[in-house]
Amino acid sequence: MTRALKKYFPIFAGPTVLAFLIAFVIPFAMGLYLSFTDFTTLTDAEFIGLQNYKDAFGDRSGFVAALAFTALVAAISIVTVNVGAFALAYLLTRRFPGRNLFRSVFFMPNLIGGIVLGYTWQVMLNAILKNWGQTIVNDWRLGLLGLVMLVNWQMLGYMMIIYIAGLQNVPKELLEAAEIDGAGKSRTLRSVTIPMVMPSITICLFLTLANTFKMYDQNLALTAGAPLNKTQMAALNIVDAMYSKVGQEGVAQAQAVVFFLIVSAIALIQLRATRSKEVDA
Amino acid sequence: MLIRRKSFLALGAAGVQRRTPMHPVSRRALLGGTAALTAASALAACSNGSSGGGSSSDGIYFLNFKPESEAAFKEIAKTYQDAKGVEVKVVTAASGTYEQTLKSEVAKSNPPTLFQMNGPIGLANWKDYATDMSETETAKALIDPSMGLKGEDGKIYGLPLANEGYGLIYNAAILNKYFTLPGAKVASIDEVKGFDALKALAEDMQTKKDQLGIKGVFASTSLAPGEDWRWHTHLANYPLFYELRDANATDTKAFKMTYGDQYKQIFDLYLNNSTVPKTETSAKTVTDSMSEFALGQAAFVQNGNWAWSQISEVDGNTVKEEDIRFMPIYIGVEGEENSGIAIGTENYLTINSKASEAAQKATGDFLTWLFTDPEGSKLAAEKLGIIAPYTAFAELAPEDPLGKQVSEFMNNKDLYPINWVFQIFPSQDFKDQFGQHLSQYASGKEDWAAVIEYVTTEWAAEKA
Amino acid sequence: MSTSTSTPTAAPATTARAAKPSRHYGAGTPFLVALMTVLSLIWLVPLAFILINSFKGKFFISGAPFALPDGETFAGLDNYITGLQLSGFARAIGWSLFITVGSVAVIVLLTAMTAYYITRVKTWWTSLLYYLFAFSMVAPFQMVMFPTVKIADMLGLATPWGMILLYLGFGGGLSVFLFAGFIKSIPLEIEEAAYMDGCSPLQTYFRIVMPLLMPTTVTVAILNAMWVWNDFLLPNLVIGQDERYKTIPIVIQMLIGSNGNRDMGAQMAMLVLAIIPIVVFYLFGQKHIVEGVAAGAVKG
Repeated sequence: MTRALKKYFPIFAGPTVLAFLIAFVIPFAMGLYLSFTDFTTLTDAEFIGLQNYKDAFGDRSGFVAALAFTALVAAISIVTVNVGAFALAYLLTRRFPGRNLFRSVFFMPNLIGGIVLGYTWQVMLNAILKNWGQTIVNDWRLGLLGLVMLVNWQMLGYMMIIYIAGLQNVPKELLEAAEIDGAGKSRTLRSVTIPMVMPSITICLFLTLANTFKMYDQNLALTAGAPLNKTQMAALNIVDAMYSKVGQEGVAQAQAVVFFLIVSAIALIQLRATRSKEVDA
Repeated sequence: MLIRRKSFLALGAAGVQRRTPMHPVSRRALLGGTAALTAASALAACSNGSSGGGSSSDGIYFLNFKPESEAAFKEIAKTYQDAKGVEVKVVTAASGTYEQTLKSEVAKSNPPTLFQMNGPIGLANWKDYATDMSETETAKALIDPSMGLKGEDGKIYGLPLANEGYGLIYNAAILNKYFTLPGAKVASIDEVKGFDALKALAEDMQTKKDQLGIKGVFASTSLAPGEDWRWHTHLANYPLFYELRDANATDTKAFKMTYGDQYKQIFDLYLNNSTVPKTETSAKTVTDSMSEFALGQAAFVQNGNWAWSQISEVDGNTVKEEDIRFMPIYIGVEGEENSGIAIGTENYLTINSKASEAAQKATGDFLTWLFTDPEGSKLAAEKLGIIAPYTAFAELAPEDPLGKQVSEFMNNKDLYPINWVFQIFPSQDFKDQFGQHLSQYASGKEDWAAVIEYVTTEWAAEKA
Repeated sequence: MSTSTSTPTAAPATTARAAKPSRHYGAGTPFLVALMTVLSLIWLVPLAFILINSFKGKFFISGAPFALPDGETFAGLDNYITGLQLSGFARAIGWSLFITVGSVAVIVLLTAMTAYYITRVKTWWTSLLYYLFAFSMVAPFQMVMFPTVKIADMLGLATPWGMILLYLGFGGGLSVFLFAGFIKSIPLEIEEAAYMDGCSPLQTYFRIVMPLLMPTTVTVAILNAMWVWNDFLLPNLVIGQDERYKTIPIVIQMLIGSNGNRDMGAQMAMLVLAIIPIVVFYLFGQKHIVEGVAAGAVKG
């Protein structure tokens, strides 16, 4: 059957692969090349070897600090989003009135995006912080808190739905068997439920990881890196180098390459680690 | 294959024709650099015949920087087309996206033929695309030839679109009310001819703010990210202006902030006599400041003539048109009683040197019409509300109260103008971080020395 | 959705009413409902915030953002009118809808087929493709931004139709990844039986496999719809400079002027208008969406 299918490449995969080449693979290769050049626009690139990569890690780029802050935001958000989403899912798989309405409410923020939403959050958080004589950019920890809140608000509902599905797929018999064996609620959760929803955990971790690492709109709108670039995440750092600094386009491109490699590596490790813990029912 | 190679070469040539003698490497590197690139170009060649070209490639394409001027430029374009039969395409980049839009657009098959640069830093970045316009009719129509944006070779590569001015805008009604109060320490605005008088006025008004019915003397010092340019650029222009004046220079590799104390005292005056506590300023936007002024909650706001629209279009605005006045900013420098408001431009037009010859010519003709033709300049003055520094505009004063006063200050030969030297600030990133330091200082997280330290070291590093 | 109901014909409402709540719901139910109500209200605050402020004059927003509009600050529908007049919003809605619907339809149809092909045909280059698709998910957009725009221009893709192709290429990664995960879990026997009956690969796919993919299809459709509908940067650079083709996020951004001339009121009003189609879409497909996200994601 595979052999019969193989000939159908142009029909099955052709259009997607062609579009993928045009929109991603070729631009990616060009982007890779540009990271070794000095350029203002695409038509005036000059090859300069590894200089951009040296500059990317130089003191003046702020790239390493931005990477560190990105990792911090991502680490906190991955934990809070997933724990929160799992807890909500756990509660919302019980039977009680209004359950579907609550699910919809939590899911809703996923439907909205864009930079205006970020500005809205900035105005809102500043209005709240005013009670303590603070603003979101007075202290980088407040900025961090704001970013984490915004990410949780936007992503928690989506992950919750995925966990709900995972929880519903845990066979009743397994849970009953655990109860008969005298396992308490927390023991059952640890030894039966969590291993059984491991596929959900894998995909949720991957999605939160990819989304928080690449976060840009929220960062720009909420703090724009202030104070003193202490809340600048990697994507914002790259865009700043590209447009706000003079003659740093190639460095920005090199930073993007490095950033891509790091995120890929982390994602790969995460996928391997959690996949290996998945069990069959 | 023959067709493909032909258009492939044509494609490369279009982009590099003027640069080949200068950068022989770049062309080879670009075209031969990666297989993928070649593939991309080849791919492009397949459909180039059908989609490329077109009649508009010799037309005028203006990439506009100011979203609020879009409608006016479109009207001007239409008038020009009706009069001369030449189409002018006006495209406006969304706010905050001009650089990235320009970078993408110039690489396209129908690039902008006319675009904007913010000064010497912009020119350094776009020098390969800027055209020498020294010999154009428009450049010769400049009231003051030094107004042109000059490259290192002394030639004019950018022509100013408009002269603008900023200073302290005040609400005369509130001040007049103050002057009649018993025990007012200052009796008339004419007494305020220097920092000390301004300080005495502001501090006394602040203690009487309840009697005056205001929340504070100065509208809030907006230090939210992206909203802080009135301080890190406009106000910071003052210490740089005086430092350059002392050195008799137009640029410097080391900005020592010799007038840092003066800069601090005016900034402190704003912060301490404001509508809000200074810890809240890092949440404030320009719109907040302007609304406080428009609603009569503050007597002063530091801003420019462009702010008129922001004041006038407010519903429930309590400020009368005739009460809106400009005065110079005083920071405490000797002789400043003779200074005027800060006048200059950060908006230079240049013709894309990589556009086709015909397009460059057509674009030049359009500029000539806009800045020298009686009809064109009248339209520009009316629709854009600009004061363009060309002879044809001499009699064309703008309608709005702030614009009118900018004209008056420009023509007042008794006062020396504060030139817009902030054009030489090293980069947007420098200014953004400068603003973040000011915000940290305002919220008490950082002392003033750290602000000065940042400006001097970062300036030296970026200008090196 | 329900975990135990075995009679799909019985309307859930009837079942719920027939059984006494005390028997169905656990002991902590009141507490749980109270907790969820509080949390939901917190979740709705930002949305309410946008709605409230869209009715205020732009100068009254940041002063007291949580205050309801009153006599002085209430702007009626002014913000909506300002936004609509300024920006050619109606046309932008049209193009946004066209590009979103078109992209989602094309992505769903084509990436599912691609995923099927690279999952079932196992050679070195299909797994290479799979990994390339997977890696495209984590690539920062800034890295490919200029080249993508340049290539789109050279190929004459700077049109709404071209945008659909770009979205297929750029969004293909995640979609192929999700579909492939699901297809792996479909037993081969079903397809083999179809081949035995003389079905061609195309017939097998469209008659047997595609209907099975429905849950993942919903997931992929939602993810892409949200992304395309809200995307600013790519359309702004590729088609945003063309007067004819502005999309909603672009016209919203155009409401910000230079010199800090930002009309938050009109922006929030436009945001409300931009949200409405999505919420309507969501409310209509609510049940399928929630089930689809769930089913698709777990298998993936």
